[in-house]
Amino acid sequence: MFQWLFNYPVTAFSRGKFVLLGPWPKTVLCLLVVALATALALVIRLRLRHAATPLPGWRIAVLWTLQSSLVALLLLLLWQPAITVAELKPQQNIVAILIDDSRSMGAAEHGTTRLAQAVNALQSGVLDKLHQQFQVRLYTIDTQVTPALDPSVLRPSAPATHLGDSLRRFVAETSDLPIGAIVLLSDGSDNSGGIDLDTITALRNRRIPVHTVGFGPETFNRDIEMDDAVVSPHSMAGSRLNAWITIHQHGFARQPATIEVRDGAKVLASRSIVLGADGKLQSENLLFSAGDAGAKPLQFSISLLPGEENRLNNSLTRLVNVEPTQKRILYMEGEPRWVYKFIRRAEDSDQLVQIASILRTTENDIYRQGVRNADELKDGFPSSAEELFAFQGLIIGSVQADYFTPAQKDLIHQFVDRRGGGVLFLGGRFSLADGGWGSSSMADALPVNLPNRRNTFHRASATVELTPPGMDSLICRLIDDPARNAERWKTLPFLMDYQEAGTPKPGAVVLAEMKVGGRNLPFLTTENFGRGRTAVLASSGNWRWQMSLPLGDTSHDRFWQQLLRWLVADTPDQVVASVPNQILFDDGQVKLSAAVRDKTYLPTSDATVEAHIIGPGGISARVDLSPVPNRAGEYQAQWTAPQSGSYLTEVTAEHAGQDLGRSVLTFQRMDGVAENFHMEQNRDLLERLSADTGGRYWRPQQLSRLLSQISYSDAGITVHETKALWNMPIVFLMMLLLTLSQWLLRRKWGVV
Amino acid sequence: MKLRRRISVVLPFVASACVFFSLTSRAYQWFGSNPHDPVTPGSANEKAEFSWSRLHYTAAERSFAGFGYGYRGSWSWSRDYPKADRQFLMALRRLTRTNARSTEQVVDLDSDDIFNYPWIYAVQVENWSFTDAEAKRLHDYLLKGGFLMVDDFHGTSDWEGFLSGMRMVIPDRPIEDLSNDDEIFHVLYDLGDRFQVPGEQYVMTGRTYEKDGYVAKWRGIRDDKGRVMVAICHNMHLGDAWEWADSPEYPERFASLAFRIGINYVVYGMTH
Repeated sequence: MFQWLFNYPVTAFSRGKFVLLGPWPKTVLCLLVVALATALALVIRLRLRHAATPLPGWRIAVLWTLQSSLVALLLLLLWQPAITVAELKPQQNIVAILIDDSRSMGAAEHGTTRLAQAVNALQSGVLDKLHQQFQVRLYTIDTQVTPALDPSVLRPSAPATHLGDSLRRFVAETSDLPIGAIVLLSDGSDNSGGIDLDTITALRNRRIPVHTVGFGPETFNRDIEMDDAVVSPHSMAGSRLNAWITIHQHGFARQPATIEVRDGAKVLASRSIVLGADGKLQSENLLFSAGDAGAKPLQFSISLLPGEENRLNNSLTRLVNVEPTQKRILYMEGEPRWVYKFIRRAEDSDQLVQIASILRTTENDIYRQGVRNADELKDGFPSSAEELFAFQGLIIGSVQADYFTPAQKDLIHQFVDRRGGGVLFLGGRFSLADGGWGSSSMADALPVNLPNRRNTFHRASATVELTPPGMDSLICRLIDDPARNAERWKTLPFLMDYQEAGTPKPGAVVLAEMKVGGRNLPFLTTENFGRGRTAVLASSGNWRWQMSLPLGDTSHDRFWQQLLRWLVADTPDQVVASVPNQILFDDGQVKLSAAVRDKTYLPTSDATVEAHIIGPGGISARVDLSPVPNRAGEYQAQWTAPQSGSYLTEVTAEHAGQDLGRSVLTFQRMDGVAENFHMEQNRDLLERLSADTGGRYWRPQQLSRLLSQISYSDAGITVHETKALWNMPIVFLMMLLLTLSQWLLRRKWGVV
Repeated sequence: MKLRRRISVVLPFVASACVFFSLTSRAYQWFGSNPHDPVTPGSANEKAEFSWSRLHYTAAERSFAGFGYGYRGSWSWSRDYPKADRQFLMALRRLTRTNARSTEQVVDLDSDDIFNYPWIYAVQVENWSFTDAEAKRLHDYLLKGGFLMVDDFHGTSDWEGFLSGMRMVIPDRPIEDLSNDDEIFHVLYDLGDRFQVPGEQYVMTGRTYEKDGYVAKWRGIRDDKGRVMVAICHNMHLGDAWEWADSPEYPERFASLAFRIGINYVVYGMTH
C-alpha cells in the first residue's frame, strides 16, 4: 500500500535524503507560502465580512487552513521535491544469504522443519529474483559461516549457534568483497549470549544492513523451560547447598510440577511447586546436602508435563566441587563462658570444621584446646601473619580490644581484608562496644556501627526471630521448609543475655533480630569485607537452646555448624584456580586462571604455576600458566577441551622451591545440549540486529517484499539515485482531498 | 558404802555430760550462729555467667550426719551449706576470670529451671533418691551438656547408696577411675598428685578417712565423646575443706587441694 501511494518503498525514504531540485532557494518558498497564506487570510476576512451568513471564527480558520495547505502543496511542487538515496549497482554487489543450520532449525512446525521453511521461502522465486539484480552467495551460519552450494541439501545438524562471532568473522573475511546486504534466515536462538557491540560496530563500519527473517513460533503453546540453575561451584563436604532455579512456561499456568536435583541416579532433593503465569520468569530454590567429597555434575530438572512441545529443555547440569579439606577456626575467648563450651561441643560433630581455642582462664594463664601439638598457640594469640593466616576463620569472644596489641589488631583486619578469612564477634561483657571495639582499627570491618557508649551488654532475656533475609539464609535454616523454619525460630528458648550492637552498615545483612522490651535489636549481622567476611552475634546466651530444648533436638548445634561453615567455606587458599564457565557448550575453549599468594597472602608474581588436566578417554595435559601483566599474583592460560566430558584440573604453584599450594577445579564440555534451549524464535534479537545495522526484520511470508527494499544500501558498490516525488499518487490525492473538502464545507456552511 | 555406790553411778553420767557439753560447745563454737555466719555480700543478687548450683534432692532416709553449718531440718543435700559454697565462690572469683555470682543457688529436679545452670554440685549422695521424672530430667540434663560433681560420701555402703540413685539416671554407662593425666586434672592447675581430703573430723580424729573409705577415689562417667559429665569425689570431703579453710585448725594443704580440685572441675565443666 505504502509503495503504491508513495511510488517507492519505506526503506527509500528512511535511508534517503529529502531534497528540492528547483533553482530558487528554499527561503523563497517559505516566504511565498507565508505571504500567500497571509493574503488568503485577508481576502477571506474581507469577503466573508459581507457574506449573507456570518461564519464563526473557527470555521473561517478551517477554510483558511485548507486553502493555505493547497497553495503550499502547489508551491512545493514548483520547487521539484525529490529524495536521493544510495542504491546498490545491479550485478556489481554481493548479497550474502546466511541460513542458520543449527539443531534448533530442525524443530518442525506444521510438519516442516524451520530450515526447510527457510529453503522453501528462498526457492519460491526470491533467489531467482535476487540473482537478476545481484551476485548471490549462500552460506550456512552456526558457530561459523561456511559457504553452501545447494540449499536443498542443508541439514539442521550444527550443535550450536554463535551469531555474533560468526557475523563478525564473516565481515572480516569478506573485507575485500562488495557485500551489499546480508539476509539472515534464522530462529535467532543464539547460544553465546547475544550479539555484542563489536559485531554491530563491524557491520556498521562497512554499512552492511542485515535483513533478518525469523522462523519458528515466538512462544511455544505448551512448554516448560529451565532457564538457569545457580549453585555455588564449591562446597565443603556435608554442607547444605541452596540452588536457585529459574524457569518459564507457557500453557501450564497454575499447574503443579516437581523440581529436583540429582547426582547421577540419586535424587538429592525434590520439591513440588506451582507454576506461575505464562511467560513470566519464576525462581524457586532447592535445598540439598552436598554429600561426600568429589567433583559432582548435578542435574537440576523440572518434571516433564504432558503435551510439552520441547521435551529437551527441562534440565540443566551444574558442576559442584565438594571439597574434603578441613577448615580451622581460631577462637579467642576472654573468660570462661557457657557459649565457649557449647560452641566447642556443637563443632565436635562437624568433621570438617575444627576449632583451636585460647581461653583466658586467669589473668595470666590461658587454656588451649584443639591445638595440633603442644607448641601451637602456646604464646597465645598469634603475632605473625603466617601463624594467624593458617586459620580460615576467627571467633573473638568476650575480649577487650586492648588485650590485643596494635599489631595484632592490624593482623585481624588483614585476616579479613587480605587473607579473605571470616571473623565472628560474639556478645559479652568485654565485647563489642563494651570492649572498646568501636574505636579500634577493626571498626570499619565490623558489619555494624557500634554504640558510642558502654554498658551495652545485659544479662536479661531476649527472644529471637528471623528477618526476611534470614528466612532465605542457609545459616539460619533449622528446618528445610522456609515458612516452617521461620515459625521454628519463634519457638526457640529465650537467650540468657543480649548486647546492643548498634545499627547495621549499608551492605550488611541482619539475618535475625532480638526482641527486647518492644525493641528489635540485631542478633546476627553479616557482611562481606575485602576478600573475607565478618559477622556479629550480639549475644552469648543461645546455649540455652541446647539446654532447654528436648534431648536430641539439634537446633543449637545445627545453627552453630551452619554459621561457622559460612564463616570459613569461602575463605581462599594460597592458590585459587577458576574458569569463567564450568560448562562448555559445544566449544572446548577454556581460560584457566589462578590467583597465587604467599604464606602471608601477598600476591606472588614470579611463581611457577602449572595446570594438570585429566579428561575423558585418558586425556592428560600439562599447561603452564603465565603471569597476567599489571595484575600481581594472577596467572592465565588458554586450553581447548578436545571432546565432550568432564575434566579435572589441579593447579599447582611453587616459588623458590617452596610449594605454595594447589587448587582443584572441574569443568565439563557438553556438545549438542545448548540447542535444546531457547528454541522459540528470538524475534527481539533479530529485530535489534536488523535495526542496529539499517536492515529490517521480515516474516517468511514477507520475503518477496524484501526484493524491492534490499537494493537500498550504503554498502558495496552503490550509486546515488535521485527520485522525483511530484508524481506520487499521494500528492494528487492530497490536492483532490484539500479541494473537495474545502468546497464541501463551504457548501455546508452556506458560503459557496 | 552408799555414798561410794552413788558416786560410782553418778560419775559416769557427769563425765559423759561434760564431754557432751564440751563437744557441743566446741561444735557451737564452730557452728554457732554469729561468728561463722557467712556474710551475704552486697552483690548477692547480681546476675552472672556462672552460678554455683547445689542440687536439692529428696533423701532416701533422713540423715543426721549434718554437722556442717546449715544443718537445719536434717537434709543431707545441705551439708556444709552455704558457707562451703560461698567460700569456694570467693576462691573461684579471686583465682580465675570466671564471672561467678557471689552467692550460691539451690536447684532441684522438679522443674526445668535446672537447665539454666549447666554445672551442679551434690553432697551426701548416698542418701539421694529420684522419682522417675527426676531421674529423666537429670539424665537429659547431663546428656545435653550439664555437669554434675558429687562429693562427701564415704565407704562401701555409701557407694552403694550413690549407685542406686545414679543408676536410675545413667543406667548404662561405666563409671571409671580418672587417671592422673586426665584433662580434668590439668585444665587450670596440674593436679597429677592428689591426696585424700578429709572433712573437719580430721581435726579431732587425725583420720583422713570416714567409715571404710580409706582410699580417695576420683571417678567419672563420660559421654559419647569421652567428656566427663559426672565427676565423682568418693571417700573425701571437699565441701568441708572449703568450709573450714578459714579455720586455723584445719590444715591448709587440704583446703588448697580442695579449692584447686573444685576450680578445675568448674573450668572443665565450662570448657567441655
